[in-house]
Amino acid sequence: MISPRLFLFLTTAILFWEVASPVTHAATSLNQSRWEQAIINIESTRVVYDSMQPWIKRPRTYLKTGVVIAPREILTAAEDLQDRTLVRVQKMGRGQFYEAEVVWLDYHANLAILTVKDDAFWKGLQPVPLLRGAPSRDDLRVARWLNANLEIRRVEFSQYTMDDSRLSPIPALYLEFDSEMKSIGGSAPLISGGKLAGITCQQVDNHVRALTATFISSVLEERKKGNYRGLGFFPFYWQPTPNTASHKYLKLPGEPRGVAVIFVPELPVVEENLKPMDIILQVDGFDIDPQGRYLDPDYGQQILENLSIRGKFAGDIVRFTVWRDGAIRVVNYRLPRFDYHLRLLPDHVFDREPEYLIAGGLVMVPLNKPFLRSWGDDWKRRAPFRLVYYDNEFPTPDRPSLVVMSFVLPDAYNLGYQDLRALAVEKVNGKVVRNLREVKEALSSPQKGYHIIEFVRSDTIRRIVLDASQMETANARILKRYGIPKAESLSSP
Amino acid sequence: MRSHKFAPLGLALWIALIASLSAADPEKSVVQIFTFSQQPDWSAPWRMEGLRRGSGSGFVVKGKRIMTNAHVVSWARQILVRRYQDPRPFLARVAFIGHDCDIALLEVEDERFFAGLDPLELGDLPKVRSTVVTYGYPAGGEQISYTRGVVSRIEIQTYVHIANRSLLAVQTDAAINPGNSGGPVIQDDKVVGVAFMGAQGLENTGFFIPPNIIRHFLKDIEDGRYDGFPSPGVRITPLHNFAYRQYLQLPLNELGARIDGIQAQEESERLLFEDDVLLQAGPYPVGSDGTILYEGNRVHVMAAFHEIQNGESIRLKIWRKGKEVEVALPLYVQKRDIAAGNQYDVLPRYFIHGGLVFTPLSLDYLKTFGRNWSDEVGAEMAYELFYRRHELPNTVRPEPVVLAVVLADPANASFNVKGGVMVDRINGVRIEKLEDVISAFEKVKTGQHLIEFLPKGTFECLDAEAAVQAAPRVLKNYGIPEDRRL
Repeated sequence: MISPRLFLFLTTAILFWEVASPVTHAATSLNQSRWEQAIINIESTRVVYDSMQPWIKRPRTYLKTGVVIAPREILTAAEDLQDRTLVRVQKMGRGQFYEAEVVWLDYHANLAILTVKDDAFWKGLQPVPLLRGAPSRDDLRVARWLNANLEIRRVEFSQYTMDDSRLSPIPALYLEFDSEMKSIGGSAPLISGGKLAGITCQQVDNHVRALTATFISSVLEERKKGNYRGLGFFPFYWQPTPNTASHKYLKLPGEPRGVAVIFVPELPVVEENLKPMDIILQVDGFDIDPQGRYLDPDYGQQILENLSIRGKFAGDIVRFTVWRDGAIRVVNYRLPRFDYHLRLLPDHVFDREPEYLIAGGLVMVPLNKPFLRSWGDDWKRRAPFRLVYYDNEFPTPDRPSLVVMSFVLPDAYNLGYQDLRALAVEKVNGKVVRNLREVKEALSSPQKGYHIIEFVRSDTIRRIVLDASQMETANARILKRYGIPKAESLSSP
Repeated sequence: MRSHKFAPLGLALWIALIASLSAADPEKSVVQIFTFSQQPDWSAPWRMEGLRRGSGSGFVVKGKRIMTNAHVVSWARQILVRRYQDPRPFLARVAFIGHDCDIALLEVEDERFFAGLDPLELGDLPKVRSTVVTYGYPAGGEQISYTRGVVSRIEIQTYVHIANRSLLAVQTDAAINPGNSGGPVIQDDKVVGVAFMGAQGLENTGFFIPPNIIRHFLKDIEDGRYDGFPSPGVRITPLHNFAYRQYLQLPLNELGARIDGIQAQEESERLLFEDDVLLQAGPYPVGSDGTILYEGNRVHVMAAFHEIQNGESIRLKIWRKGKEVEVALPLYVQKRDIAAGNQYDVLPRYFIHGGLVFTPLSLDYLKTFGRNWSDEVGAEMAYELFYRRHELPNTVRPEPVVLAVVLADPANASFNVKGGVMVDRINGVRIEKLEDVISAFEKVKTGQHLIEFLPKGTFECLDAEAAVQAAPRVLKNYGIPEDRRL
């Protein structure tokens, strides 16, 4: 049993070690000054829109980290740079902030490059190199500025894992590690062998995820060549196929292997495409097992989606070997570029004011995830089921997107409709509408003096009628009464 | 069948008790009901869940019957009734049950039960603010309990027993607690309601079934069968907006609600149209908010439709294309959405092949996913059950089928799908009802069965011969009496 006195001593010693350890580690295994000259504090101010009342915006300021990786170039994650109004940077963890400019950014890759015009900022800063290949699992540290001191700590490798990117449905390969550091913050450098092995981008408790230097390098090299076309992705769906009877049914000889394609959406159009019931046997020469994994030379067993971003970009060919109709076929699959609008409900809308259109107090907005997220983090449970269910559907050429009437700004003009909310709009004045521009256009053709607005047939109201001749007057009155700066915010045609 | 085990009192004492009853003491006609019930497990539909004990209240009505709530006696394996201050239990059975209106009538085989008991008389819909007294045997004690309250309001309410039907209900601040269910609500010695539900999260809020609904039930069963409350299958929405009224050339007054949608009811689709305006339903003028003045209360117009018996017609005054027309609309009980509500007293259908358990999609099945079932089940099943008939009526399957569970067996050992999914096709046959599953499997005798699921075409294959060989093994291993209940 430890005596109270000894326990006190141990505690003191441990506390002391906690504070002192960064310096100790830096002195023994790292060139600390080199990282002091490369790690940058970033302050990003951006506007956050109220998706329910999209004309309302509120400023928010976020602090994160960046790393100098080339002359006049700071690498950081793209998150918290969306809808920015001001970005400032600070070197050495203290002193003056300099205004920075985002010179390149890709939300799907979750990467951004910043620069600063003021030469004074760059004095004393030195780029650090990116690591080639996978880092040593026993030599991983994370660094950040903490109270003007550089904190560098050893972390414990956990695994490589694929998951959705922070700002995009495109999956990313993450190096996952455990760290005792609280709130590491975005884009802190992961260091291995004295080189930049990745940047952090997610933390839950003491579990932290980082984008790997290999992925970062591949994207930045393409950018440097002026050849970056964005990330590609696999839009098709497959299922694990361990069922031996399924292989027999599809007449695949030999041991069960590969996974079956189950659904190929209509969009995006891919010239040489996979088909349902294809069995994917190989992707770019890697054998695919019945759970959809392959053996990555750097990262071990990984899910096949990693092969859509493993040194490949939109427009590149990924070579699929499939079992189709009783024979082996090769499909030269040209990776489509991901765009948020490839989803019926886009996941994000960045760097532009959200769209809306107020028509006689009816607030129309595009149906997208930011709108649904206005119901909170558990929007899938709290938002109207019917709207959430659209997220399970796919865009088609006839229905690439949806408009929703989010709510009604009450006025004598729309009396009787004031309780309507969250209704998908199907037609305005007899014309099918897929976006707000089409709504606006349809409103220019009233039906015998009336605007007829039809909602998608469901378990709620189907149709309402408004007086076309009074809409403009009513709009002006409503905007004034509710303090709304303008009646519409529409995307460019 | 008479129970002797629970008859400790002698005949003399029993006669003395009877002699003390009088019609002016309603409590003497109020009975306590004890049930032992057992409902099936919809995710393992051959299996019954554990026996549950329950208790409720009831009261004697004309014809030597006991009225109570349907939910008191649903799935009952044994029903015992006990008279006021009489220790003997009597065996009872359900004579009629209406799950949509949550009313049941019980019969007691032993004639002695009714000796000296006066049936309670049915009164009229009580006035709002008038006083009522509930009689019953709620939790918290053994003896009869009385609670007094006022009639707070009268409206159409969702009847939680069935969950997807709404009928007239009376709200009161008289305490209505578990065990009160089925007991009479009395005013001036007459029954003005049957206590049936409370409201979670609200204080002093209980509900009882009004005489109007009770009379409808009693008339319905006069032919020896309970049909239920018919529905026009239309969605009626308020019509306040001036522009919409002008568009329909309708006078700018307080009358008329709009028919906004017609939901796959053959007669309604033939006789009514969207944008018809309902001016009058039966004898009741319809307000622009979709309500009628019903015995002094403004309630939703559906109350007028609920006065009609299955197969009878209601006279409607309709505003259509600038003119008033009269329509006699036959009304029928809606059967299409039965699976979207709670179902009772009918064991679930199922079919097992190769260890795969198929059963119809239903609310009862979804509830097997737990209290938060709506978070747990796939969106596809919820859409299929609650939305498809509104949005895509032409694609509705009469009885969507789910693969409820895969009972592990060598025949299905390498299945990736483990259950809880909707079945789309089997061997190319679109599955519209459970019988389709059987005929689809019978089509293929050798090779593999192809089973496709919704929504994205996930599939599994099952070796046809292995599935046949698995049948007796699966039934034996999992203690299943039959491979099907159709």
